[in-house]
Formats: sequence, structure tokens, C-alpha cells
Amino acid sequence: MTTASAKGPVGRRALRASRFAQGSLIWLPALLLVVWTSTPILWAFMASLKEPLEIYESTSLLPRSPSLDAYREVITMRGFPRWFLNSVLVTAVATVVPLGLSLVAAYAFARYAFRFRHVLLLLFLIPRILPRVALIVPLYDLLHGLGILNSYTGLFLTYIASAVPLATWLLVGFVAGVPRELEESAAIDGANLWVRLRYVVVPMIWPGIVTAAVLCVREAWNEFPFVLAFTNSTEMRTLPYQLYVLEDAMGIQDWAVYNAFTIMTILPLLILYLLLERRIVSNIVSGALK
Amino acid sequence: MATLVTGRPARKTATALTPYLLLLPGLLFVLGVLGYGVVSGAVLSLHEVDAFLNRRFVGFANYASVFSDPRFQASLWRTVWFVFYSIALSLALSLVFALTLDRVTRARQFLRGLSLVPYFVSGIATAVMWRFLFSSNVGLVNRILSAIGLPGQSWLGDPTLSFVVCVLANAWFIVPFSTLILLSGLQTIDRQLYDAARIDGAGGVRVFRYITLPLIKPMLGVSLIWLSYASFSMFDIIVALTGGGPFRATEVVSLYMYQVGFRFLDFGEASVLMLVLLAINTLLSLVYLRVFVIGGSEA
Repeated sequence: MTTASAKGPVGRRALRASRFAQGSLIWLPALLLVVWTSTPILWAFMASLKEPLEIYESTSLLPRSPSLDAYREVITMRGFPRWFLNSVLVTAVATVVPLGLSLVAAYAFARYAFRFRHVLLLLFLIPRILPRVALIVPLYDLLHGLGILNSYTGLFLTYIASAVPLATWLLVGFVAGVPRELEESAAIDGANLWVRLRYVVVPMIWPGIVTAAVLCVREAWNEFPFVLAFTNSTEMRTLPYQLYVLEDAMGIQDWAVYNAFTIMTILPLLILYLLLERRIVSNIVSGALK
Repeated sequence: MATLVTGRPARKTATALTPYLLLLPGLLFVLGVLGYGVVSGAVLSLHEVDAFLNRRFVGFANYASVFSDPRFQASLWRTVWFVFYSIALSLALSLVFALTLDRVTRARQFLRGLSLVPYFVSGIATAVMWRFLFSSNVGLVNRILSAIGLPGQSWLGDPTLSFVVCVLANAWFIVPFSTLILLSGLQTIDRQLYDAARIDGAGGVRVFRYITLPLIKPMLGVSLIWLSYASFSMFDIIVALTGGGPFRATEVVSLYMYQVGFRFLDFGEASVLMLVLLAINTLLSLVYLRVFVIGGSEA
């Protein structure tokens, strides 16, 4: 047994040795990460390029002769343009409107001291912890009472409402980080509130706005419980809803088409994420921990 | 009294109102829709509601019938186990992933980007992909099992196995965000601490046990609470993966609430279940706040 007598040079050698071991062993967990994360998507994507029967016969991951037939079939589904546009529409509204509302609200919270500020801030932020699915029963009752079940208005209302707390949460911190002096000097030059917001605050907190926008897009594009509960006609479905009923709607189990549809629903968001990744990831964390 | 960046004295009353006016539109949406939802749910829970949404006040009758309902009790326990296994698996995975992403030198950017991908996939798409993965005739998992000479399983036809698949799919969906939280904690640790410990002869396990773990404890707490919150309210993945079956083996509280409300059309009892979900989540969030405050930052 070697004892602790030879600390100096042995220690350094041990350090180098352990670094080396670390360097080679790290590929095990890294491999686990890659396999765990990509397998479901890769398996679905490969199947979407196969021919329907090939999925049953072949054991290979790669398609024999990759074809986009399944995607063509998805795009030419009778309702597809409508479902796609529904998703785009609710996502656009549920991103732009909450961003505007949250920006001015965040400005008020970050810049003014006023009575009930804390209570109002809590009222804005607490709804963040309400799980969407829990609210579908009373909100169905509300939309029924207003006569806006199965309508865009109903979806807009509920989507916007659930996005406002999220965006406000994120933006308050960003607005608070804008130096007051900048705004003061603009104000001395005669800039009113809207001018200061537009030309001083917004440019300064642009990374925060982009992050909030991506998070709003993500929530709305992927939303399911509300659209499931509040719509009942085929024309009102968004992509996740159609994906949910697709298996029954197709009659036969065509896994190529099924997987192509899945990939089509996740692709737009993944592209957005890959484009903005470097800029938003750290902000997502800071937003979540705020 | 409003103190403003710049106050023009002549318009003092106007500026005093400014913050409230700025808050108003957002607040109307939040209170008018979400706030209304909570209050209205509490009111509905005290009523018998028929299929045409006509109400009759019945006091706490709905509570009595929900709490004594064996199907509810079973779904509550199922939820607890679902959350427990989801957290155990997800915390282990996200800790391994975060440590890897923190140390890895090659392909670092690629791995980081990849690790967050499931965060942007919808719950429904997640469910469909996992159902395909575990499909008994065309799934990858059974293909692999048969390739190594093991019998394929009817994963989604068996009560226990389908519960396992739900936990796995849920973990896939929630791990990325937890990884992100833990990674942000790891990145605040001073590298020199590791080197110093190594020079003193501490092995990898001890460095992890006595340096890494204590330093990321607040982040572990945050991700723990976040994971349990996400799992408790999980609906999308389970409803699209198993629909609560087979034989109700995966019917958690949120799915049962949907059944009661939109299949049995009993909005009174469904509202009681909604309040159960809200109560659990509120409790979790209080814990979250505690952990958060102990973590040392401010809201």
C-alpha cells in the first residue's frame, strides 16, 4: 500500500491520470445522452421515409429507398392546410398579444412604486403554477356561457391569458436591468412613455423579448388540453389535436404517414430553436429561476 | 403615490394612475380568464351540474362522492407513484447529463443543443413517438429484444409495462429542462476547487460527494420541485400514449378529471378533482418558494 508520504509529484501525476480517465470515460454518459434524446425522433423520422410495408418487414433503421411519399400524403390530407393555418394563427396571436401586454405590465412593475404593487405582481405570477388541464372544466363553462366554444375567439382568450404570466415573469427582470439614466436623459429630451419604451427599453431588452417570444410560441404551438376541450369541429383543430386523433381518422395503421405527421408538427419549432439556440438558452434558465 | 423616472408636476394625477393603466390589460386577461376559472371551479364544485350545464346547489355532496370513490383513490395513488418514479429517473438522468455537458470538451455545443430538443417537442408528439418505439409489432424495442433472442413484449397491452412506458416518455419530455437548471448550477462552481481537491488526492466520487453536490444543492431543489410539478399535472403524454388504459393502469388524476368532466359530463365532480389538482400544485409551489428562498436569491 502506498501511503500519503509521496504527495507532491505523485499527486500531480494522479491529477493528470484522473483527467485522462475522465476524458475517456465521459463518452459513456455523452453517448447515453445522444441515444436517449435522439432515438425516439430518429426512429420516427426514419420510419417516415420508409414505405408503409417496409416498416413491418425490415429491421433496419435506415430506409431501403428513402421517399417523401408519406409527407406528400400528409400535406395533401383534406384538412391539413386548415390545421396548419389554425396552429399558425393561434400561435401568432398567443405570442404577439401577450408580449405587448406583458411588456407594458413588466415596465410598470419594474419602474414604478405604487400601492398594491406586490399583490398585483403576485396576481400576475401565481397563475403560472395553474396547470392548464386543471382549468378546462370551469373554462369550458365560461366559454359556453359566452357562446364562444369551438371558435377562434375562445382559443385566443384562453391562450393569451395563460401566456401573459409567463412573458411578464421573464420581462420584469429584463426591464429592471435597463439603467434608469438612459430613460431619464431621453425624458429630458422630451420623449414620452411610448417613445421611451419603443426606442430605449425595447432595444435594450431585445434578448429577453426574443426569449419570451420563443417560450410563448412553444406553449401555443404545442398546446393540447384547451383545444381538445374547447373545440369539437374538424375545421377548428390545431396540429397537435389532429395528431391525437390521427390514428382513428386514418382507419388503417399507416405508420409512415403517422410518423411523417409527427415530424411535420415538431419541425417548425425545432427549426426556430436551432436558429435561436445560442441566444435563448441561458435566458430560459434565468427566466425559469426568477 | 407613484414615483416616476421623470414626473411632470403638472400632470401628477395622470402619472399616479400610469402604472395601473399599464397593468390593466394584462390583468384583465389573467384575472378574467384564469382567475375566473379558479373561482368558478370552486363554485361549480358545490353544485350538481347536468349535461346542459344547469346547476343545482348541493353543498359538499360532490366532495363526499369523489373522496369516497375507489376509482379516484386509485388514480391519486397512481399519480403519486407516477410522480415518484418520474422524478427518480429524471433527476438521475438530468444530473448525469448536466455533469457530462459541464465537463465534455469535444462536440460541446452540439451536445448542449441536442439535450434541449425534447423541450420543444409537444406532449402529443412525444407520446406518438414513444408509442411507435414500444409498438408490439413494429417498435424498435421489441426489434432489439428479438435480435438478442428475448421475447417481445406487448408493452402497451400490459398494465405494469404501459405504466413503465408512460414514466419513460414523461422523463424524456421533462429531463431537458431539469438538465438546463442543473447545468446552470454547475457552471457557477469554481474550477480551481476541483483541481485543488484532486491534488489533495480526492477521487472522482469524493469530489462529487463533497464539492459538486453541496454546491448545486439549491439547483437540485429547484429542479426537483419543477420535475414534480410537471409530472403531477401531466395530461398530454398519458392521454395520447395509453388513454389511461389498459384497465385504467395509467389513469392519473388529470385523466380521471377529464373522464368525469367530458365523458360522464359531471362538471360538479370534475371541479372537485380540479381543486385537488390545484391544491397539490399550490403545495408544491410553496415548497418551491421555500427551496428558492433558501437558495439565496430573491423573487
